[in-house]
Amino acid sequence: MPLIDDDRSDLALPVGVEPRAAPAGDPLLVVEGVSKHWPGRDAPTLDGLELRMAPGDVVSVTGRNGAGKTTLLRILGGLLSPDRGTVELDGLRLGRARRAYQRQIGLLTPGDRGLYARLTVARHLDLWARLALLDGGSRAAAIRAGAEQFDLGEIAGMRVDRLSMGQRQRVRLALAFLHAPRLVLLDEPATSLDSVALDLLHGAIDDAAARGGMCLAVGPEGVATGLAARRTLLLRDGRLEPA
Amino acid sequence: MRAFRLHLAAAAGLFRRDATVYFSYRWRLVTQHVGVLFSLAIFFYISDLVRVPAFASPGSYFAYAAVGVIILQVLQSTLDVPTTVRQELVAGTFERMAVSPFGPVASILSLFLFPLVSAVVTMLVTLALTALVFGLDPTWERVPLAIPVAAVGALALGAVALLFVAMVVRFKQAPGAAYVLALISLVAGFYFPTALLPAWIRWSSDVQPFTPAVDLLRNLLVGQPLHGSAWADVAKLVGFSAVLLPVGVAAVTIAIERSRRLGTLTEY
Repeated sequence: MPLIDDDRSDLALPVGVEPRAAPAGDPLLVVEGVSKHWPGRDAPTLDGLELRMAPGDVVSVTGRNGAGKTTLLRILGGLLSPDRGTVELDGLRLGRARRAYQRQIGLLTPGDRGLYARLTVARHLDLWARLALLDGGSRAAAIRAGAEQFDLGEIAGMRVDRLSMGQRQRVRLALAFLHAPRLVLLDEPATSLDSVALDLLHGAIDDAAARGGMCLAVGPEGVATGLAARRTLLLRDGRLEPA
Repeated sequence: MRAFRLHLAAAAGLFRRDATVYFSYRWRLVTQHVGVLFSLAIFFYISDLVRVPAFASPGSYFAYAAVGVIILQVLQSTLDVPTTVRQELVAGTFERMAVSPFGPVASILSLFLFPLVSAVVTMLVTLALTALVFGLDPTWERVPLAIPVAAVGALALGAVALLFVAMVVRFKQAPGAAYVLALISLVAGFYFPTALLPAWIRWSSDVQPFTPAVDLLRNLLVGQPLHGSAWADVAKLVGFSAVLLPVGVAAVTIAIERSRRLGTLTEY
């Protein structure tokens, strides 16, 4: 069963891994009992955290500074291993089928990092499409779609160090969505975006959700994450609760 | 086969990125060669002072030292990779490699491609400049053979560089990379014959891959006679690389997994 229904339909398929269809409403992301205790802190940052997301889910997680929002995203993104607990995405267990798992993930890290100052926008899109192991045809389609989705056409030939902060954020967002991942993780995605760019972000999230993808965005309590979230959760004392 | 092709395309993407960044600094190419020419000029004038039985003429010592300088450039290229990884960590681009399906280990290995190719090109340009400016007379017909030898020699040092990369990933710094190069140039006979070393340290010339690399390259580039069989030197060089490279890759893999568990993979 195709994961998405446009001309990028094979983009999210892991090499050698057949996607399993999840019945609508069944959770595709299952996070169970995830804990992470940073050295030097009295209490664990994440303490038996549970989260389930179904295809089309758009979830916003808020919490105070240092509540563990970025830690949660980094664990889901495969950058950190939890001390305890499991993360499963479409039947793929994080830490076991790492390459197949990473194919399903798009991650926007916080701030304005993660770009090469002297590389053009077009070269960034091409490089990350290659690192996502997209083949030639899919790569060209993904780059075209990503540039359109975040209105990068006019700046495609510009070097990143000559872009404004908002333009850089659009590039970073395009990279996170580029390979049509099943789960897009966004850390403070609205940073530096104007209202037009926010609309582009909403459009990209809607498209991803309509294709059966999922979005999880985090941001500080009281500040908009930039998502028209269907669920908003509060991260407090290492666990998620309805906001 | 498809997976291999996709991995190759990803590696090519990183090669192109490194080339783009390198050539975006337009004067780097010029300054790099000017720096080497200064080093060669020093040895050119020092060679005038050399009157020893080991070298028939001042010119033969210059040829000996010049090839040492050129080889050092080639080998040094791979030792820059730990610094590149550190820059990736600071810039936050390493995170992208780590979350990509291509993965952090394959990405790090791909970071060696541009320095290797660039080093071989630099070797040829420097050789030509040395011939032009200082009258060195290389055996041009054997230069093509020197290219794979230089590449394997650089790969052997690449294995050492991977150990430093593992340190950068795990501890965010890799002190000692510069000392390694200095030590290698001392015990592998880059600027003087290893026979001049004190007996207690001379054994170290035989237990690393750089002495055979330098001997072979010197033989191929300027016709310096070998001490033993060329094939024995080739076997030693390839053997060292074959053993050391998997060790380096394993060290990087372990460092990445350990940093993931400790939560320090994204730190810098």
